[in-house]
Amino acid sequence: MTSLKTKFFGLELANPLIVASSSLTASADKIKEFSDNGAGAIVLKSVFEEEIINEYNQVAQAKTSAHFEEFLDYFDYKIRDQVLSNYGRLIGEARKVSKVPVVASINCVSAGDWLQFASQVEDAGADAIELNLFVMPCDPMNTAENNRNFYLNAVREVAGRVKVPVTVKISSYFSDLAAVCNALAGEKISGMTLFNRFANPDIDIEKEALVEASPLSGEGEYLLPLRWVGILSPRLGCPIAASTGIHNAGQVIKMLLAGAHAVQMASVFYKQGASCLPKMLREIEEWMEKHDYESIADFRGRLSLTQSGNPAVYARAQYLSRFGGYSASDRK
Amino acid sequence: MTEKNETLNKGRNDQWRVELRNSVPNKDRVALERVKMTEVEPHERIKSQTCEVNCGLTAEQAVIEARRCMDCVTPTCVEGCPVNIDIPRFVKQIEAGKFLDAAATLKEYSALPAVCGRVCPQEKQCEIKCFYTQKMKKDPVAIGYLERFAADYERLSGKIQIPRVEARNGIKVAAIGSGPSSLSFAGDMIKFGYDVTVFEALHEIGGVLKYGIPEFRLPNSVVDVELENLKEMGVNFEKNFVVGRTASFDDLKELGYKAFFVGSGAGLPNFMNIPGENLNGVMSSNEYLTRVNLMYANQSDSDTPVMLGKRVAVIGGGNTAMDAVRTSKRLGAERSIIIYRRSLEEMPARVEEIKHAMEEGIEFMNLANPVEYLPDATGRVAKARLQRMKLGEPDASGRRRPVPIDGDIVELDVDLVIVAIGVSPNPLIPACLPGLKMTRYGTIEVNEETMQSSVPEIFAGGDIVRGGATVILAMGDGRRAAASMHRYLQEKYQQK
Amino acid sequence: MNKIIEKHNLSEHVAKFVIEAPMIAKSRKPGNFDILRIGERGERIPLTIVDSDTEKGTITLIVQNVGVSSGKLCKLAAGDFITDLVGPLGKATHIHKAGTILALGGGVGIAPLFPIVKAFKQAGNRVLTVLAARSKDLIILEKEMREWSDEVLVMTDDGSSGRKGLVTEGAEEFIKREKVNECVAIGPAIMMKFCALTTKKYDIPTQVSLNTIMVDGTGMCGACRVTVNGETKFTCIDGPEFNAHQIDFDELLQRLRAYKNEEDQAKNKK
Repeated sequence: MTSLKTKFFGLELANPLIVASSSLTASADKIKEFSDNGAGAIVLKSVFEEEIINEYNQVAQAKTSAHFEEFLDYFDYKIRDQVLSNYGRLIGEARKVSKVPVVASINCVSAGDWLQFASQVEDAGADAIELNLFVMPCDPMNTAENNRNFYLNAVREVAGRVKVPVTVKISSYFSDLAAVCNALAGEKISGMTLFNRFANPDIDIEKEALVEASPLSGEGEYLLPLRWVGILSPRLGCPIAASTGIHNAGQVIKMLLAGAHAVQMASVFYKQGASCLPKMLREIEEWMEKHDYESIADFRGRLSLTQSGNPAVYARAQYLSRFGGYSASDRK
Repeated sequence: MTEKNETLNKGRNDQWRVELRNSVPNKDRVALERVKMTEVEPHERIKSQTCEVNCGLTAEQAVIEARRCMDCVTPTCVEGCPVNIDIPRFVKQIEAGKFLDAAATLKEYSALPAVCGRVCPQEKQCEIKCFYTQKMKKDPVAIGYLERFAADYERLSGKIQIPRVEARNGIKVAAIGSGPSSLSFAGDMIKFGYDVTVFEALHEIGGVLKYGIPEFRLPNSVVDVELENLKEMGVNFEKNFVVGRTASFDDLKELGYKAFFVGSGAGLPNFMNIPGENLNGVMSSNEYLTRVNLMYANQSDSDTPVMLGKRVAVIGGGNTAMDAVRTSKRLGAERSIIIYRRSLEEMPARVEEIKHAMEEGIEFMNLANPVEYLPDATGRVAKARLQRMKLGEPDASGRRRPVPIDGDIVELDVDLVIVAIGVSPNPLIPACLPGLKMTRYGTIEVNEETMQSSVPEIFAGGDIVRGGATVILAMGDGRRAAASMHRYLQEKYQQK
Repeated sequence: MNKIIEKHNLSEHVAKFVIEAPMIAKSRKPGNFDILRIGERGERIPLTIVDSDTEKGTITLIVQNVGVSSGKLCKLAAGDFITDLVGPLGKATHIHKAGTILALGGGVGIAPLFPIVKAFKQAGNRVLTVLAARSKDLIILEKEMREWSDEVLVMTDDGSSGRKGLVTEGAEEFIKREKVNECVAIGPAIMMKFCALTTKKYDIPTQVSLNTIMVDGTGMCGACRVTVNGETKFTCIDGPEFNAHQIDFDELLQRLRAYKNEEDQAKNKK
């Protein structure tokens, strides 16, 4: 009898398939669908600080005279209250219809607001909080240390104050990724998700304009988190969930073998809907039975950096198999 | 607006005015320096909540200042005024010594000139449009001081002119709230001959003019004179009456009221919702100012208490924040500190208020924003944790957005915190009118020209429509609403 | 100015007033309160409207002499005037047919509980009432409560009337004996806190009516703010009744002490 139980978000999950934060998790109906189809957990659409900024800008544009300076001065607080109030309602509705854990997701671009967002979201009844941390490090003057401190401060502010488990979701844009992850893992977090996938810019050469590339992940994108899950999972003290480009049961299993406790998926649900969940779960169980595993713990991390017996594969940057050189089997 | 064009030219070529213009060459006018308002000295004035800081102009000062005005062919100052007062006319009347005429001119446009002369941000309205400011880069004519002078002169002379009132037409209308927008509305409707009743929830009439603006800026006696005038003209006032609760709109309709003006204001305090904000000793500016200005809590014969603080922090940068912080100083604080998220230059408060506050010893902590309050052992606020800010990119309002400086938090010892970050529309009235179309933020949606709401017999103006704005805008709304309600009622009930 | 038509002393410290207020009497519903002022420099104080008579155009208030303002009011007599009276304020009680209602009244909280008991009974509910106070002379409206309840249990701390014990003990007795659908508890904040803890054990939906500090009573100042279910609410416009199990009672108790120093000073002065 195979069990797909795993632990992430500081919670026992029935299986490692987590529905990632996206517009698919923004309404109670869709959340119910995922719950009914057997998701392990659901991460709600993120509360974005940018929403608040955008809405504020809309109001400000309508009230341009000097008479309204006092009115606009702290009006963003009012908008924030409404946004958080609406989010709180979503959390409440989600909890009513979902049989699986509901995780709130907070995305902030500046320090200081984290604590407030997190407290209100906790009060609304979220089972856990995911801090959606991503700052695109575009500024050449902004050092790695600054970036790291921003992330650490945010985590400390929140994890130190709320009682529900806190996890972080980060991008891979770090020169010292392993060190950053290590530092984050040292804080009071219950898990780390690698990686957040940024929206990508593209160019339309006929219109000569900047456009947004497809928001859905493509083939092969899972290789990025795969490497780092393999490298970091044995080293960090905290559970890792893999995210980006995981589209089928096979890729889920790869992540688990590399050392992940769970995976987060979105694009596959956009393409195939919540109904692909039962099939994926079944295929994972079938693979486990075929390979003689009763639980995920039995095989998780077997092919990680330290356990695979071939650590060089993870750390290697060059394509040795293509460009000559030799493989481990060449050496006698 | 044709009304405006008529106004701009009305009377400019009357003989007395032509003679007045010719009596002094423009170059002599320009050579005069702008008058300096006499102010009570800071040490003295902080001993009293009711001592008005600005003393007003003398008649001589007023005449000389009025002389500076060049009676422009196209008076740009009028464009800057939200109620388009015929500024050149009243200013020239002052220059000619016709002070009571100047007061009468003001009253054609504004129901409360003594109030506006004191609280209007003229530096952002008429005075910034003055020819002196625009073309000569010199100090504008002190239009605000002159308005106050004329209104005060009339008040103190005992020769207050009650404007002409049309014969009663028997139609009853109601104004809800007794703040500047309703008073303005009532002043016009009574002139048109309507039977006007103003309903006020509190036990004093005047709205924000009484409970909000402290007496050192706007004495209650000044407001009371304006209210008396309205009563003389025939406006009824009902205190302790919450429309929608004491009686519903339907009840009032049964009593014969045909149309309503909602001027219930933005009397709902905004809080930041940060940890510790519900500690004892943290309150809204509405609560603080109401206790002091309306309930006289600082006086020993009043039963209402007010918390006094030795180290008072006021959060915000507008006129309300200034009012609160200056009040705290007068109530004996050792340190009264403004904590504002942007820079000093960007504070929305009137420049004059900031200047007065600094003279009075108010401290300014700019680029700081509270994130948490911490208590002492008794549960009273003892410390404010402030996030230091820097200015980032401008947002859509054109002002630079404050951005937290990561990790830069300072602690400030406080024993009283007043949150003056703005107000929202009071929800009581909208809640009892389910058919009334509202915006997302609780304001009543109205046609901007007519101030009519989605319910035909209900008009609205002032802060309940705009969110928190100024007294003068509220008054302009009241006048516009009166004009269009008059049209509406005449059509509906086919009078005359 | 509103005229006092009748005044009765219910005990040494508790007085009942019948006041002329035709418009309030007409619009008032159970659970509403009003705000009064005595004298030109009087404080604005909230008092629940205990009863009203639309024909006579009067409302009934009950007040306990606990401070300066309530003291001034208690000194007035029939024929005197209340300087300012405004109402009805607050959200009315949600009266409906729930089945069996458990009504818990503590001390002067019995007064605001009475109109709710009456209305629930009129709506066809079975009403079980516990009246509790320190001692006999603080138990008020017992006769009226018996008229509108199926059963009344009186509890006093000193045993001078009814049974000796706390309101929560009386409550549990009823709860253990029969199915209670809903509970309403009104009294000092600490009493309501413990009533809420008691009914929570049995998962009985419970409403309490809060007695916070107020200034204007119309939502303008925020002095009456209370945290309910993690959100800030204003007692005067969102309440005065709230779901007891969602209220942060500790914060409420703290905020009720806010003016203790000033109140003590004032009492010593007068």
